[in-house]
Order: sequence, then C-alpha cells, then structure tokens
Amino acid sequence: MQFAPLSHLRRLRRQTAALLACLLLGGTANADTYEVKLPPELATSPRMCDYAPCKDVIPGATAFSERKGQPWYVEAYKDEAGQKKLLGYVMLSTDITDIPAYSGKPVVTLIGMDTAGKFTGVKILKHSEPILLLGIPESALVKFNNQYLGKFVGDNIEIGKSRPEENLIGLDAITGATVTVIAQNQVMMTSGSEVAKQVGILKPVNRPQARFPASAATPSWADLVADGSVQRLTVKPEEVGLKSDGRPYMDLWFGYLNQPTIGRAILGKDGYEGLMGRLKEGEHAIFIIANNSMDSFKGSGFVRGGLYDRVQVRQDKDGFTFRDLDYVNLWSIAASGAPAFNESAIFIIRGKSFSAAYPWKLVFLGNKIDKETAAKTFANFDREYWLADTYLEGGRPVVVKPDPTWLKVWKDKVVEIIAFTALLLVIAAAYASRDQLVRRSDRKNKWPVNAFKYTGWVVSIGFVGFYAMAQPSITQVLTWFHSLLFQWKWELFLSDPLIFIFWIFIIITVFVWGRGLFCGWLCPFGSLSELLYKVGSVIGLKRLQFHPPQALHDKLKYLKYAIFIGLLAVSFFSMGLAEQLAEVEPFKTTFLVGLFNRSWPYTLFAGGLLGLSIFMERPFCKYLCPLGAALAMPTTFRWFGLRRKDECTSCKACAKGCGSLAIDTKGNIDQRECMLCLDCMVLYYDDHACPPLAQERKRRTKAGQALTPIDGKGYFIPIHPLPMDKNSKGVEA
Amino acid sequence: MSTENIKHDVQDTVPGRRKFLNTAALAGLAGAGLSVGLSSCKQEAAPTAAAPAAAPAPAPAPAAAHGAAAGELNLHPAPGQLDTYYGVWSGGHSGEVRVLGLPSGREIKRIPTFNIDCMNGWGITNETKAIIGTRADGSLKYKTGDTHHVHGSYADGTYDGKYFWVNDKIHGRLARIRGDIFECDKITEIPNIQGFHGIFPDKRDPVDQAVNRTTRVFCGNEFHIPHPNDGRDMDDPTKYRTLFTCIDAETMEVRWQCRVDGNMDLVATSYNGRLAAANQYNTEGGAHYEDMMSAEKDACVFFDVARIEKAVKDGKFTTIGDSKVPVVDGTKEANKDPKTALTCYVPVPKNPHGVNASPDGKYFICSGKLSPTGTVIELAKVEDFLDGKLDDLNKSIVAEVELGLGPLHTTFDGRGNAFTTLFLDSQIVKWNVDAAIKFHAGDKNAKYVIDRIDVHYQPGHISADMGETKEAGGMFLAVGCKFSKDRFLPVGPLHPENEQLIDIRGEKMSMLAEHPVYPEPHDFVIVKREKIKTRQVFNVDDFPNAIKDPKDSGVFRNGNKVTVKLVSQAPAYSLREFKVKKGDEVTLILTNLDKVEDLTHGFAIPKYDINFVVNPQETRSVTFKADKPGVYWCYCTHFCHALHLEMRTRMIVEK
Repeated sequence: MQFAPLSHLRRLRRQTAALLACLLLGGTANADTYEVKLPPELATSPRMCDYAPCKDVIPGATAFSERKGQPWYVEAYKDEAGQKKLLGYVMLSTDITDIPAYSGKPVVTLIGMDTAGKFTGVKILKHSEPILLLGIPESALVKFNNQYLGKFVGDNIEIGKSRPEENLIGLDAITGATVTVIAQNQVMMTSGSEVAKQVGILKPVNRPQARFPASAATPSWADLVADGSVQRLTVKPEEVGLKSDGRPYMDLWFGYLNQPTIGRAILGKDGYEGLMGRLKEGEHAIFIIANNSMDSFKGSGFVRGGLYDRVQVRQDKDGFTFRDLDYVNLWSIAASGAPAFNESAIFIIRGKSFSAAYPWKLVFLGNKIDKETAAKTFANFDREYWLADTYLEGGRPVVVKPDPTWLKVWKDKVVEIIAFTALLLVIAAAYASRDQLVRRSDRKNKWPVNAFKYTGWVVSIGFVGFYAMAQPSITQVLTWFHSLLFQWKWELFLSDPLIFIFWIFIIITVFVWGRGLFCGWLCPFGSLSELLYKVGSVIGLKRLQFHPPQALHDKLKYLKYAIFIGLLAVSFFSMGLAEQLAEVEPFKTTFLVGLFNRSWPYTLFAGGLLGLSIFMERPFCKYLCPLGAALAMPTTFRWFGLRRKDECTSCKACAKGCGSLAIDTKGNIDQRECMLCLDCMVLYYDDHACPPLAQERKRRTKAGQALTPIDGKGYFIPIHPLPMDKNSKGVEA
Repeated sequence: MSTENIKHDVQDTVPGRRKFLNTAALAGLAGAGLSVGLSSCKQEAAPTAAAPAAAPAPAPAPAAAHGAAAGELNLHPAPGQLDTYYGVWSGGHSGEVRVLGLPSGREIKRIPTFNIDCMNGWGITNETKAIIGTRADGSLKYKTGDTHHVHGSYADGTYDGKYFWVNDKIHGRLARIRGDIFECDKITEIPNIQGFHGIFPDKRDPVDQAVNRTTRVFCGNEFHIPHPNDGRDMDDPTKYRTLFTCIDAETMEVRWQCRVDGNMDLVATSYNGRLAAANQYNTEGGAHYEDMMSAEKDACVFFDVARIEKAVKDGKFTTIGDSKVPVVDGTKEANKDPKTALTCYVPVPKNPHGVNASPDGKYFICSGKLSPTGTVIELAKVEDFLDGKLDDLNKSIVAEVELGLGPLHTTFDGRGNAFTTLFLDSQIVKWNVDAAIKFHAGDKNAKYVIDRIDVHYQPGHISADMGETKEAGGMFLAVGCKFSKDRFLPVGPLHPENEQLIDIRGEKMSMLAEHPVYPEPHDFVIVKREKIKTRQVFNVDDFPNAIKDPKDSGVFRNGNKVTVKLVSQAPAYSLREFKVKKGDEVTLILTNLDKVEDLTHGFAIPKYDINFVVNPQETRSVTFKADKPGVYWCYCTHFCHALHLEMRTRMIVEK
C-alpha cells in the first residue's frame, strides 16, 4: 500500500513532463507533418542537424557532426567532462532510401541509433499519407515507430507476430495502413543497417552473385517442383482466423526466373529473353501464381504507388518489397503440367544485396481477424527458396545457418536429457524385470520393487517436476490433436526436449504395459501425491487414511473422462479457453509457478489436493486427471497385462490391498485404473499371502511334500506330473 | 451474274450447309441464338447462330484463367483476368487508332492520330501539334483523317511489337504508333499523291538479307492526279498518275516513289523482302466509274525493291515539283524487259481488292471484288519471271478459283486454309489453298471450299490471330462488317459497325461474338500479348523541355512572350497561382513528376479552350494568347487523388 502514493506521484510527474514537452515543442508527438514544407537545406546542407530536430531522436546528444559517409549520416556526441563522446548516429531516411509509402512518396523520417546499433528515436518530419489525414491519427504512426526504440538494427524485424523460434521480432501494424507501416519498416531497417554497416556495427553482407551453368534441359512443372525450383506457400483459412470453405486462404507457387533453365521452362524462350531484356545488371525476377485462393496476393496497396503489401522477399536480414513499377505481367507458364492460376505476377527484386546463390524466403503477410473482437492483426507466413546445386555453377555455396532454436535447446540441455533418459530406461528396465523383482518381494518386504518405484518418484518430483519442469500435461494432448488435424510442426514439440522424450516414453509404455508405468511410477504430481500418502502412513496418520467406497469410486472414476472430453471439445472452439480450463491440473501451480506464487484459488486447489493425498491415495489421479483419462483409453489396448489366476475370480485378497481400487468384485483388474504398483503381483508369488498358494503350501507341508518353486502361472510346480491330478489343471489352463 | 448462278458454278457446298442447318437448327432450338439468326433475314442465317452450340472446336483445356492454355479461347475473361491478344484497330474517318483486348472485344485505348482529342490534348498541345503538322501560324495543317490499315513491324517473320503504322487516306499521310506506349510519335505526309490506301511494312531487308526485320513501309496510292498537282493537266486524266511510296521505318522519311499505271489499293510484302505488291483497279486510267470497270482484267503490280533502290542509287530518277523525293518509272512501258524491270503487272480479274501474303511465304492472294474469284500468285514464279527464268508472267497464277460474290480480303489459319470475305454474299468462305491450286491445275475433284458462314453484314477486312505473320495461330478471326442494321440497340440513323469474331479452330467456322464499334474501322491486326512490351511510365529525360525539379517552376518573361513552368505532383501543381498580362503569348509547360504508374494528371484552362493530360514523368506544353483578363481556375481533369478536386491553380491575366 505504501507504493501507491509514490506511483501516483510518479505518474503526475510524467504527465507534467509530457505537458511541458508538448508546450515546448508545440506538441510534436501529434504535430501535423502531412505535406509540411521542409527547409530545402535539410536535404542538402552538410549541417543537417541545424535543420532537423536531431536531438529528439538521440536523447542526451549535445553536438552533431556534419554529414558524412555514403550514404549520409551524422555522428551525435555528448559532453562528458569537457570531452566529446560519441553517443550514436542520426540519419535522414531520404538520404538513404526512397522507398515510397502509400502515397507513392516517401515518409521523411529522422532516425537515431546508438553506438550499439539500437534505435534511440524515430521522428517523422514529413509524410504525404492521405490515410493518416483521413482517418487514422498520425499518433498511430508515432506509436508504431516507438516500437523500434531499443531494438537492435541487426535483428530480423517484420510486421506481424514474433516468432522466437526463428529469431523474428514482430511489430504491431496499424490496421488500415498496412502499406505505410511496411514501407516504414523497410525504411527503418534499410536506413539503420546501411549506417550500421558503415560504422562497423554490422558486418556488410556481400553475397556473390549466382552464376548459372548452361543447360539445354527443358524441365516440366513436375521436374521443377521436384528439384525445388518452384516452391509452394499455402496458408489455411484457420491460420488467419477465417472459416474454411474448402479453399486455401492463399495457395502460392513461386520461383526464381533469372536462372536460364528455370526461366525458359516457366516463360518460354521468347518470354524469358523479353523479361531479361527488361532487367538491368543486378536485378532479379521472381514469379508468383495463385489459384483458387480466398484472397488476392496483390491486394491494392500498390495502386497509389505504394507497395504490394502482401508479398515480399527476405534474404537473411535484407527485405525486398515491390512497388507498381516492379511488376510485370506473367501471361502464361510454358512448362507442361503447370497448375491453372487466376492471379499471377512477375516481381523484380532491385536490391543490390540479393543473390540467387543463397537461400531466400517469400513472405506472405496475412490479415488475421480475431473472431471475438474483429480486430485485425498481421501474421507472416514464409517459405524458403534455394536453387538446387545443378542450377548453380559450382553448386550451392556453403551457408552457415544458425541452429534452429529447438536444436539449441537440445544442445543446452544435454546433461538433463541424458540423466532423464537414463531415469526412463532404468524404470522401464526395472518394470520389464518385474517378475524377478516381485518374486524377491513378499507381503512384508516390497523393497525390491519399491526401491525402484520410490527412486522413480523422488527423482520425478525433484528433478523432473521441480527442477526440469517436465510435468506432462493434458494441454500437450490437445495440441497434438490439433496438430494431427491441422498442421504438424515438429519444431513445436521439439522445443522442450524432456517433454518430447517423456511423451515418446509414455506412448510406447502405454501400449506395452499401460498407463500405470507413467502414472504410477514417473508422473511428478502423481508421485508427489502417492508419496504424501505413504509418508502419512509412516508418520502415524494411517488410521485416518481411507479409501472411498468401491461403489462410489466406480462412479466417480468416470469423471476424469468427462473432463478430458470436455476439454477436447472446448479446444476446438477456443484453444485459449481450453488452456485456461486445463488448470484443473494443479501441475502449473505445483511445479511450474510454485504453490505460493499464484493467487489463492489456485493455491487452495493444488494445496487441497495435495493435503487430501495424505489421507486418500491419489485423489486427483483417480477422479480428476484428464491426462490420466487420455492415457487410460489407449491402455485398453496394452500388450502385456498383469497375471491372474483362476482363483482370483473368487479370492478377494489382492483387491483388498489395491490402492488404486482397480480390482473389481470378480477379480478383474481394470487396467485403465491400475497404477502398476505391483502389490498384487507380489502377492501372486507369495505363498504366505496368496490364498491358493498358502493353502497348497499348507497341504504340502502337512503331507510332507517338497515345496517346489512357483512357476510363471503362480503355482508350485506339481510333483506328480502324471497322471494329471486336479492341482495341475491350472498349469494347463 | 446472279447469286444462284454462282452457287451452282462453284463447288456446291450449299446442300451440305442446308443439311447442317436442319440438324444444327434442331439442336439449336433450345439455344437462345436461333431467334437472332432468323431475325437476320438471310436465307441461311440460322447456322451462324446455331453453330456455336455445335462448334467442332477441339476440346479446350479446363479454364486456366489468364494463363490460357494452348487451344483455348477465353471469350469472357472473369474480373481480374486479362485478354490473350491485343487487337490494333483502325478507326476510319474518326481519324484514330484503337486497341482492343481480344477475344473479349473490350476497348482498352483510343490512340488519337489524325484527329483532335480533347481528353488527350492531341492537337492541342505543342508536342502533338508538331507531330500532326502545323501551318506557319502554328495552327494545325489538318484536323481530319481517315485511317484504314494498321500493320505492325516485323522481326523474323512475325511481330516484334515495336511499331504499328496506319494510313490517312484523306490527306495522304502515314502515322507511326510506338508499340511500347501505344501513342503516335510521327506522321509523314507523302508528296504528290491522293487517296493513300494500302500500306505494308517489309519483313526483311531486300538489300541486306542479314537485316531480318522491318526497315521500310510501302504505301499504295489510289487516286491518280496530275504530277505535280498545281493546276496543270486538270482536264486530261490520261496524264494523271499514281505513285507507290517507300518510307523509312525508323526515320519516317520518304525514301523513294515509283510511278505506275493504274490505281493501287492494298499492299502486301514477301517474307524474303524482295517483293512488294499492290492490287490495282482502274488500270484503264478512267476518271468515271464506268470507265474504271471497263476492262475484264486489272492487275497486281509487283515491285522489285532492290532494283528500284539500285536505280535510285544510280540516279535513274526524276523529282516532281517541289518534292525532293526520287521518283522512278514503274510503268509498263518503261519496264518491258523482265530482267531489268522494276515492276511487273500480274493480271487479276476484275477491279480486284485485297492482296494478302500467306503465312508460308509462298503466295499472294488477290480478291476479284467484281469477279467472284480469288487469284493465287506464286511468288517464286514472279521472281523467276523477273530473273528471266519464266517466259510468261501469267504462269505465276497458280490458281484462280471461284469463291463467292464480292471477294475482298483474305486471312489465314497457318494450316493451309484461307478465309475470304464475300462482301456481296455477306459471308466468309473458308478454302484450302493447295486444293484450289490442284483444282486450277485440272483436278476437278479437288474440293477447295471447306465452309461458309454468314456474317452481319457486308464484310470488309478480315484478320485472324497473327494471321499475317508466319506464326498464324488459327484460333479465331475478326471480320469488320460494314453494316450492322438490326444487330444492336438502335440509336438513330447512324449505326455502329459490327465487328464479329469467328472461331476457326475446327473444320467448320462458328460465330463467337459481335461488338458494335464507332465508325469506322477498316483493317486490324490481332497480336499475341507476348509480343507487346509496354512501358509503365515515361522517362522524364525523354522530354527536352521537362521541368525536373519543382524548384524550377515559375513565370519567365521575355518581352511579351511568357513561359510558365509547372510540375504536377498529386494533389498539387507546383504554382498555386501564376500571373500573366493581357496580350502575352503564353507557353505553359507542365511536367508530371509523379512516378506512380497510372497517375496521369490533366490540365484545363477555362475559356481558353485548353485541356490535355500529362502521364507520369511526361512533359506537355501549350501556347496561347492571353487575350481575356481575369481569374481562370486551371484544374486537374484526370482523376488523380483523394484531393483531386482541390488540385487547381489560378491563372491571373492582368489587364
């Protein structure tokens, strides 16, 4: 509470400062820069900063150099103990690039950048965008520009969503002014990197141009697809928040045309030569066709001289946009077997840094409409293109690509991965050897089994759960369902190595032995839950511990299935809502965030379940766990079940001791409920605990017969194999 | 000669057609076309209307949008889809040239040429006046024109898309249209002729065979006049002459002229470059029409271009009046020895009209007009005659077969078939050239007529896709019908012409579409869109008077001559107002500095009768006398911007 007055004060101070700034600068933040008259010296004078508010874009600067470099920029200095210290750089966008915005004219932008290459300020000096005059406030563009502050000029910055797995930083666009912001992004990144290259912040990219071998081949469309000379970029309506009508939202084929074999195959000889005749040295042409798509890849952004705002080409950090004069008609495709198309284009890449020898991407910028709010956001989709070896003289150059994020994670976590894999292997090996372990155990000493199980629990809780946060969750199952139905992306699943390995283990063991090995031996929360129960028993709370009545249990156990089905159903309407509802799992509270780092309802829920676990074995697992339910269903088809004897149908000895309440009145084990604790298997071979065995032991002891070893069926090996007597029947059964 | 006679004389395909009518008409009863067909009041009109339903065209590939597959005609392109052919159309006495998208028939552009156009400012701006030609006082020399024939420049026997040429029959001028901007850039007035009719570019240089492209344009002269026409010999038509003219394709200068006997109409050129030819009527030299049709045979006059140019080089020429153009003598009298002859006259019956070169380069086909025949002339034999290897020029006629009444013009499908318009029959006849040659040679079983189709009505020119190149596509043809009568909504006494499109992919022709056109296109060419490479915007440096920097705007005075320099950048002119004085001679120069494709601006000055457009990066100027004091709001007439209405400037004319 004591913070309140302080924050209030701070806010007040901020408002005052803003008010002052507005008064002093004449409200620069919202100043009308539409078609303002700029001093002509701004474009030409060596003392640029005498005519431009350079200080506004690089806070703290007190002096500026004259224009220098090619293209121009100025250095900004601050005074430090009488010494001029280089603070950064200021550049005027029109000195560097004339990329037109929506109006067909550039937005004249003053850009500040510090010595580390981070943007320190952006100021529009003049724009001609009618859209900012007619509806969208100019402040929207100011707000857009502020997104650059603090961002590094060498980053991959694009309009649309961030994609950390591809090191891509997304910027929020201005709805209704896409062309303007795409052009502005191009201006910012081009200007910034041109200067950053000159001053040594960025290494200049010098991609040698491709040389093409002579070839008389005339590949068909299928050949071109097969060797990657044409690529396809498909966007589904779901990916942009639209209902599917059976058509893709966007279905693009594209390819590089300067390569003579490919160019001739696509355009025919005359078309290829005609097009190459239009190109100047260092210019490149690509084609795009679309068919049966829900939308146009051209849009209308280019009409006023702006950009084609839906497609661009990106090569590493260099973006290439297209304007009206970069467009040429694509009449038809000569290659046999080419698909039909109803929209087509040849675009000319005019940037010097582009080289066809290196990989590049076609980027499609889609509008994603949020169904609830109808607000538009922008989503990028791209597809890589790299000419095959055969189309390049000397083949593809060596390109060192940064590891994909998932691979980096795997490399970083190699120790954890080895340790975790070892844990899984040990547990699996132990369970596979359960016959030896249970034979060595008996009713009173289950340690041969429990040593492994309890180790598994402790390591799972501590290492897997709290340390590695690798608690599997129902949300992963939901994600799978969606991935299987819509789009499978390995990257998504590979991004968390332990979870990925865990799931492989779970899927295999569920079908081999049932879900119990995971649920009963390795699930961090399940382990914690049962461990609490065991500890409770040891510390003298045993008398307070209870099982719910079997009849009630048999009804309640279906609740978890209902929860699972419910979540799955909700996920098809809203993944977000399903994820929220998946908080029925206390995993996040327990392991990921921490019991005491969440608001009280969550803490109460998780804490309550764990508290209840002391008195009742695994209450969450039995009745609520949707993940358990999801795994229980395939468990029906597990390969190896637990052993049973004929007598099990009438003998209730095991059922009494079954903590999972998985053995019914007829002695059948409900494999879907079974946690594979192996207690019943210990009894199975225990001639003091298993009633049929005990009876036989007593009989043999009384009759003075030897106690032969117990066979795999759970009976003493008969002494008189012939003639067959009643006792040996079980062997045959 | 009655229609009946002809029909029986020629190959009797009519019963076949009647049979076709029965089946097709039955099949077509369900179709909407039948009533139209019957309403045409022609005896055999129905097949035309019904035929599309039974079109024997090869099965087209599934619709492939503007990537139209081979063999497909996308007659109705969906929104966003483009036509597959350019049609370059003459405009007749509207004086213009037009560009159509085909096969849809949509008009894309009108190119003002010999006419005055107040949208474009053609004939209003100084630059366009200079192209049209002015008198000493700066006013236009001519405001009228009559464009008939449009032909494109060639490279390697097919269109290269560089130029198109069109004639002006009224004043004897040749205009050139640049293929990259579809604007007229030069007009040349031909001396000492009247009634400039046919034109044709050459296809290969006859002097330097390595130059396998168009370097010359040949012009046929129809009306014979006294030489020079300065008042002499007016009452003695026997002294009237016509001149065949050669114009340089690049410079548009007249290279030479050749005096001939008779009146020339259409012109054709050979693929090897050696021969040009013009069909002739009135070889009689008559001044009245009954005299003009007295002879049973007229001629197709052939020119040996290389020989003519050698004669010019050797100084064997005269000049006429003020004209400096060398004129050689191509009359029969002066060219009796074939081995040295500049010309030779192949006899063709009777008052023939069109002459067309077959895509295989072997034949010229002349139409008889008043004779129901087509004459097939083998070019190799004409060359043999000129080389002294053939004794009789008549032997170059390898076929002279009956086609129907009033044959005029012929086009080709590239598969050996010719399509000839029959003006009087209102039909097109499809006939096989090889079969006609066999028939003419005596094989009476050779069935050369393959099909006939009714058109509506009275067809003149005909042109198939790429039909006058060696790449003749054989997809469809257009035919210009001179009478439309009942085919379109009536708009009073003046009717549009009717351009009909016919599918020629199959054995039988079928009617595809018809379009009304403003009078009066004559001839046209249909060019594959791949051949055309257009510019998107102008290059500002192409204009010597361009104002490249808005800062250079202003009013500059030199005595009473005032230059106003203006630039336009949407949505403003660089001067908000400019002042001149009454009595000034004002030259206003406007450069459109917008670089955006399609961002054309206009400039209108009220009460001064000025309007013109400037395309992106283009410069245009006007000169006028500031004779009315006051304020004149000049404004942009070509929609350009959301602030288009606000785009204006004040011309203040001070007293």
